[in-house]
Formats: sequence, structure tokens, C-alpha cells
Amino acid sequence: MKVKLVTSLCVVCLLSLAACETVQPWERGTLAKPEMQLSEGLDSPLYHQVYDSKEASSGGSGAAGAGCGCN
Amino acid sequence: MAKPNPFLALSTAAMALPAFAAPQPVETIVAIKATTYQEEDVPQRDVLAGSDERYKIDIAQFRLLTPVGEKWSLGVDVAYETMSGASPWGTIMGADGEASLIMSGATIRDKRTEVSLTATHHGESRSISVDLASSDEDDYEARAVSISGEWEMNNKLSTLSLGMSYSSDDIEPTDALRFGRVQREEKISRSLSAGWAQVLNKNSVVHVGLDVTDHDGYLSDPYKLRDVRPDEKLEWALSLKYRRYFDNQNAALHLDYRYYNDDWGINSHTFHTGWHQNFGDNVRVVPNVRYYSQNEADFYRGTDDFGLATTINQSSDFRLSGYGAYTLGVKLIYSALQWDVSLSIDRYISDKSYGHDASDQSHPALLSFNMTSFGLNFRF
Repeated sequence: MKVKLVTSLCVVCLLSLAACETVQPWERGTLAKPEMQLSEGLDSPLYHQVYDSKEASSGGSGAAGAGCGCN
Repeated sequence: MAKPNPFLALSTAAMALPAFAAPQPVETIVAIKATTYQEEDVPQRDVLAGSDERYKIDIAQFRLLTPVGEKWSLGVDVAYETMSGASPWGTIMGADGEASLIMSGATIRDKRTEVSLTATHHGESRSISVDLASSDEDDYEARAVSISGEWEMNNKLSTLSLGMSYSSDDIEPTDALRFGRVQREEKISRSLSAGWAQVLNKNSVVHVGLDVTDHDGYLSDPYKLRDVRPDEKLEWALSLKYRRYFDNQNAALHLDYRYYNDDWGINSHTFHTGWHQNFGDNVRVVPNVRYYSQNEADFYRGTDDFGLATTINQSSDFRLSGYGAYTLGVKLIYSALQWDVSLSIDRYISDKSYGHDASDQSHPALLSFNMTSFGLNFRF
């Protein structure tokens, strides 16, 4: 399972590199829009804290939150 | 009591950085958010003893991110929570053959304060961040440090990010002597993360991330009547994020996936998708759906077995059972030149039948909750 996932990861990386186009600096206005960001403001710590404390999983985004007092 | 917190420091440093680039911020950002989190009560028929009233948490968040000089930026994050309600102490087999809960009284009151400071040095095509963080509750204390960096390459179309963190947590359960709980325990967490963001074209970007975390120390829940977990856990998570902007619709699509695995035997899949629809220049509406599914831990038991020796691992924590969950949410955002305001509402439901590899019996403590947030951001 892990081997398959790591292989898939490599494939995705290679495909993404192969698929990418040259984007000049003046063409990057859309990428800078708030709705195009990978995470937005205070949402990330909030949601990650809630889910990390209520489910068995954590991580995977570099933005997991702190523990809470929710048993 | 806090849940293990492997990414406390690392996460804050990462969040202080732009999403997939590393330039110094050009303006100061102040953000505040107020959230109410409310769990639904447990059905009375499933409660053998204690309260059926579960947690309510009020959360206040504050963030300041500001440039300092020509090459530095400073971030300050503060979160303050107040919580009340009851939590499951144990699960036993009822007379009807169904699992029943022993809950705490509804008198649990706690508060948590988290503070983190992030200093970032911005170079020509890279940034390096150091983050110090602390989290304090009446019975729990966490201290964490992390360092992370981002490097732009390939004409700034690619960004490599690397990070590591170290966290030391102490727990001192309340009423330890009265209930025979451990009096003081410790836990150490170490994590490494790596990420790669790739601009695909002028309208889309993809991010791949990998996190590995090792926990060492007391990982059981001291408030449960019988909860014995291994004192080590190694976990890793692979994440994929895709962002695509549609010019014709004036909207953006978010697709996120995470695979999680740990050596307690848990695998999980998380899918999250959102549609960011703009209306004119000022209004954005974001309906979103999240699906989560996990299988049970190797030592999970549907009901506590008090006949087992206390050296044998077992836990009836619903969070270690096999189940699935959906979150349905919507967020409204109004943006002006130097500020924006947002309101979001989320509904979370979980059930054994939603899971890809569910436990034999449905856990009566599986959660449903509602969450409402109101946020303000200022830029100057």
C-alpha cells in the first residue's frame, strides 16, 4: 500500500512537471487571488484543530492545529 | 485534556508563509475570528451513567503578520478557548447487548490559551522561519519549536518546502487522586515535513506534501476508566491539493485529498472539495464538502474489558473506531479594499455506515456537531 502511494506521488510529481507551462510574472495575477491559495487565513488552524482532536488522523497539510480540551 | 499535538510549532510557521511562494509580505495583516462549536447530545438511551450533554467550545483567534525591515516578517498567533460539557469515560455492554456509555458529569470546565511567535527571514528566492509555540490548559501544557523553509525554483514556478518540529507535552489530570488517574505524564513529538508546489499554468497549481511524526511517551487518555495505548506511535500523511480557476465562471475549484497511516493500524482517507464562486468584485460564496473515513486501531474494543491486565493495550475511544464522516459547509465573504468579513457554517455528521472499513458495532459516542464562525481581516 505504501509503495503504491509513494509511486503514485512520484507519478503525480512527474506529471505535474511535464504538464506545467511557462507562466510569466505578469500572468500570475489569478494565482495570487485569495481563492487560489492553498490555505486561507485563520481557517486552517481552526479546522485542523477541530478535526485533529475529533478524529484519529492528523497532519498532511503542514497546518494541523493545536490540541483542544475536547474529549 | 489536549490531544497529541505533533505539528503545533511547525504548522504555525507554515501558515505564516504565503501559500506557494516566499516573498516578504508587503502589508500588515490583522485577523480575528470568533467561533462557536457545539456537539449534539448523546441519545439518552445510550447513556448508562453521567450526563448526555457533550462539548460546547467558544474559540477566539487573533493573528498579526507584519513586515519588519527589508528582509524580515513577524507573525503572532493567539487562540483562546473556553469549553464545557461531558465526555465519554468508558463503554460497556448494556443488558440489551448494545454498547452503552459511561459519561462524565456535565461539570467539566476548561480553557486553553495558545500563543505562537514566528520570525521569518526572506531572501531572494527563499525564506526561513523559526517558530516558538505554547499551549496551556488547566491540565495540559505543550511547548514546541520548529524551523521551516521554502525555496523557489524553476523561474518561481516551483516551491520546495521543508520543515521539522519538536514538541514536549505534559499532562496533569484533574482529580487524579480521587479517581486513581495518573498524576503526571509526558509526551515528546518529533515531525518532519516536505512539500512541493507547482504552478501548472496561469490558472492552476498543485501541491504535494508528506509529513512523518513520531510520538513517544504517554499516549493514553487518563480520563477514561480503562484506556491503555502503546507508548509510541509513528504516523505519516500524504496530501494532494489542486487549485483551478475558471475564468468563465469567475470561480475557483479546490480539490484536496489526504492519506493517513500509523503503526496503531489506522488508515484514513480524507477528501475535501470547495467551489469558490465570486459575485462581482466583493462577494464570494464557498459551498464545500468534506468526507472522512478511517478503520479501527489494532487494539480498539467496542466495549471496555476490565478483565484484561492493565499491561494489555485496549481502548474503546470512538476516535479509534472504524467509521466515516461528512461535513457540509458554506462560507460567505465580503471583501473591500483594506478589509474583509466572513461568516461560515459547518455541519458534521459521522456514522459507522459511512466508513470504508467500519467497526463491527457502531460506537454510541460518534459525533455530530455544528460550527459557526465570524471573521474579520484588516490590511494596511
